[in-house]
Amino acid sequence: MRQLIVRRLLQAIPMLFVVSVVCFGMIKLAPGDPVLSFVTPNMHAEDIERIRHNLGLDQPAYVQYLLWLKECLSGNLGYSLVNHQPVLDQIVDRLPATVGLMGISIALAVLLAIPLGMIAGANRNRWIDKLINLIAYIGISVPLFWLAILFIYLFAIKLHWLPSMGMRTIGKESALDVVKHGILPCAVLTIGFLASYVRYIRSGTIGQFKEEYVQIQYAFGSKKSTVLFRHVMKHVLLPIITLLGMSMGDLVTGALVTETVFSWPGIGSLGMTAVRGMDYPVIMGITLFSAVLLILGNLAADILYGVADPRIKSGEVSS
Amino acid sequence: MRKGLSGVLALLLLTVLISACSGGNNAASPPASGGSASASQPAASGQPKDGGNLIIAVGADPVILNPNYAGDRVSLTIDQALYAPLFQVNNGKKTFYLADSLTPSADNLTYTLKLKSGLTWHDGQPLTADDVVFTIDKILDEKQNSMFRESLIIGGKPVQAVKVDDTTVDFKLPQVSPAFEATLVQLTPIPKHVFENEANIEKSTKNNAPVGSGPFKFKEYKSGEYVTLERFDNYFGGKPHLDSITYRIAKDTNAANLALQNGEINVKYLDPQDVATIQATNNFDILPYSEGRLAYLLFNEDSDTGVLGKKEVRQAISYALSRDELIQTTYTSSEYADPAKSFVTPDGLFHTNDVTSYDNDVAKAKELLDAAGVKNLKLRFIVSSGNKAQEAVSLYVQQKLKAVGITVELKSMDASAYGQKFVDLKSKDFELALAGYIMGYDPDAYRILFASGSNSNYSRYSNKEVDALFEQGAGEADEAKRGEAYKKLQEAIASDAVVYPIAYTKTIVAVDKRYGGVDEAVLKPVVIFEDPSKLYLK
Repeated sequence: MRQLIVRRLLQAIPMLFVVSVVCFGMIKLAPGDPVLSFVTPNMHAEDIERIRHNLGLDQPAYVQYLLWLKECLSGNLGYSLVNHQPVLDQIVDRLPATVGLMGISIALAVLLAIPLGMIAGANRNRWIDKLINLIAYIGISVPLFWLAILFIYLFAIKLHWLPSMGMRTIGKESALDVVKHGILPCAVLTIGFLASYVRYIRSGTIGQFKEEYVQIQYAFGSKKSTVLFRHVMKHVLLPIITLLGMSMGDLVTGALVTETVFSWPGIGSLGMTAVRGMDYPVIMGITLFSAVLLILGNLAADILYGVADPRIKSGEVSS
Repeated sequence: MRKGLSGVLALLLLTVLISACSGGNNAASPPASGGSASASQPAASGQPKDGGNLIIAVGADPVILNPNYAGDRVSLTIDQALYAPLFQVNNGKKTFYLADSLTPSADNLTYTLKLKSGLTWHDGQPLTADDVVFTIDKILDEKQNSMFRESLIIGGKPVQAVKVDDTTVDFKLPQVSPAFEATLVQLTPIPKHVFENEANIEKSTKNNAPVGSGPFKFKEYKSGEYVTLERFDNYFGGKPHLDSITYRIAKDTNAANLALQNGEINVKYLDPQDVATIQATNNFDILPYSEGRLAYLLFNEDSDTGVLGKKEVRQAISYALSRDELIQTTYTSSEYADPAKSFVTPDGLFHTNDVTSYDNDVAKAKELLDAAGVKNLKLRFIVSSGNKAQEAVSLYVQQKLKAVGITVELKSMDASAYGQKFVDLKSKDFELALAGYIMGYDPDAYRILFASGSNSNYSRYSNKEVDALFEQGAGEADEAKRGEAYKKLQEAIASDAVVYPIAYTKTIVAVDKRYGGVDEAVLKPVVIFEDPSKLYLK
């Protein structure tokens, strides 16, 4: 087990390196110029050049990357090109809002997806399966920003049940207030995640029903619900660990679009602004941060897998 | 995957030219007397009451709440309430804020700035000539990275700020430059006692809790959520009526419009197409006001075909178009844009619309094209995809130019690609684009756009006569002679058809009807309210 962890952590190093190179490369290949975001027509050429020079943007891309890498290795994610604040501080500042929103949304989505997916899978091609499938398809196809606007219109404007934007009533510091503001974005995100989780669990359930042990249970005269919830469930739940591991990245990057529509002060809206302004230190910081979490999440998933299913621990299945 | 897709979508760089910064003014209302106009004076529209909070929607987080560095619309808007300017100019008339007077010497080489007495910063420290001198010195200090530095360099030499006494500063100019006043309008003193020991003011953590001199002082900033300012009781213009102003960060326009309808926002910019919806609620005053901006069709004279280098071709294109139709197409109504003929906006000094205007005349357009010997002309029009105004105008131009035998190819591209291509003076693969600028009230600012070889000369235009007129206007202290030069200049550029001016556009802002004092606060381009201390809850 310890060997596995060490090996996987060592593997993570080249992986993060590749991620950072690809990310940096893509930013540099994209059209646009970070300096443009603060240039106004009545600025003088000398001022523009001086700003470019002071930001180090007049150097070749590989030099910029190496400088960034050097800083990064000493634990400094650099400063935003736009507001000159330390990138790490900005991420840490926005982290609680995003982790709270995404964590609850993912958890809700999983809790709802398990029964729905299993019922659908167990009743394959019956009306209930078709209904759940239809809902899942709608959930996947509907753009979340549209759903978000629809929810705001319905629940904030028409019904006046909930606030339409932000995380707090201005100047108010109460947990209940934050929860009230969080309901709409959380609902939208839960629907987004739910759709894909349901389909995942449904196909897992269908697969399990073809296994011999299910046939044997039936032969013993077990009821369908007993088979489903006592035996099949164990097997279906295992892949959810992987699913959760893969969601670790989402947990910290947040949801760019949903956060922006609801003006939720998370990392997603920070990232959106950074992408617009081509603020590469911030984009790199968020990408690396989520890559690390994703790698750790997958590692944790694999370890939990071993705990949950002793067959894997003994074999070579994990890699 | 959701992440990746939206990341690409997110590459909607605000065209730099649209969110341009700096002065200008408006024609909406006369400025209130800036001096010691007291808070107890009743406004014409009702008895102002004290108290209440105003929520203004802003589209992004402020970049930096320090006027020496703020160039983005949001920071400038918040700074306007946080830091008092020295003075402002509306329709050529000065309104004094921190300053009491500004007097040029007989030789126009020294400007004497007199500050009001008894000014204080929000932390109670006195605001004196030292702060003004400190601010100018820090802008000129190359290490401090202020984007205003070059505007304080005249003819290669820096302007010098010298303290005479606690309330008097002399600005010594290396040569005569009437445009210096327009530079000074943009500069706002920062507190010396806060920043004097900071090695790098731009990166200083002191900017996170700014100490200003304006009607409202900093209370709190929640990143991604809002910035709240509260009343500064010792404001020299009299105690502000409102208890606080909150700038709510709302990045999604559609969602922000819903929040406006829901009463979670009180003041917000509107797009013309959203006016009807907001008006229908009956809760808002819809106020269009001039933003000192020109929207124009750009001719790239140095494209690889070089065809727009010919004056006759540019004139022919101008004759083929109709300004009124363009305004209708782009701004839905003439209420939100005035027809433009001169490159100087109406708020600018010496503006005249009495110049060659190329009113729609298809026969003349064809005649000019024949005379120039141009046949089967093909032009490329670059469009930032998703920009409704640009898309509408490009389609209109395509259709109109077809009637005079010119084929227009539309080249749609990502907003940042468009921005980069537009400002890169070396790009040669397009001839036409829709653009806009806000340059402030002094016509010298336009030099950068039209003088040969200037860095914002997006038309790649070059004319010795025009260069000479710009030189003359910049160095001429005599108002009448200066006006003469700029009038000639406007005609020279119009008759050369350097750009096709379409409209002087207006900003539309919705203000909750429960708030009063908007006329006294003066609607202002970019920053919305010139003096928010005058706003009150009815």
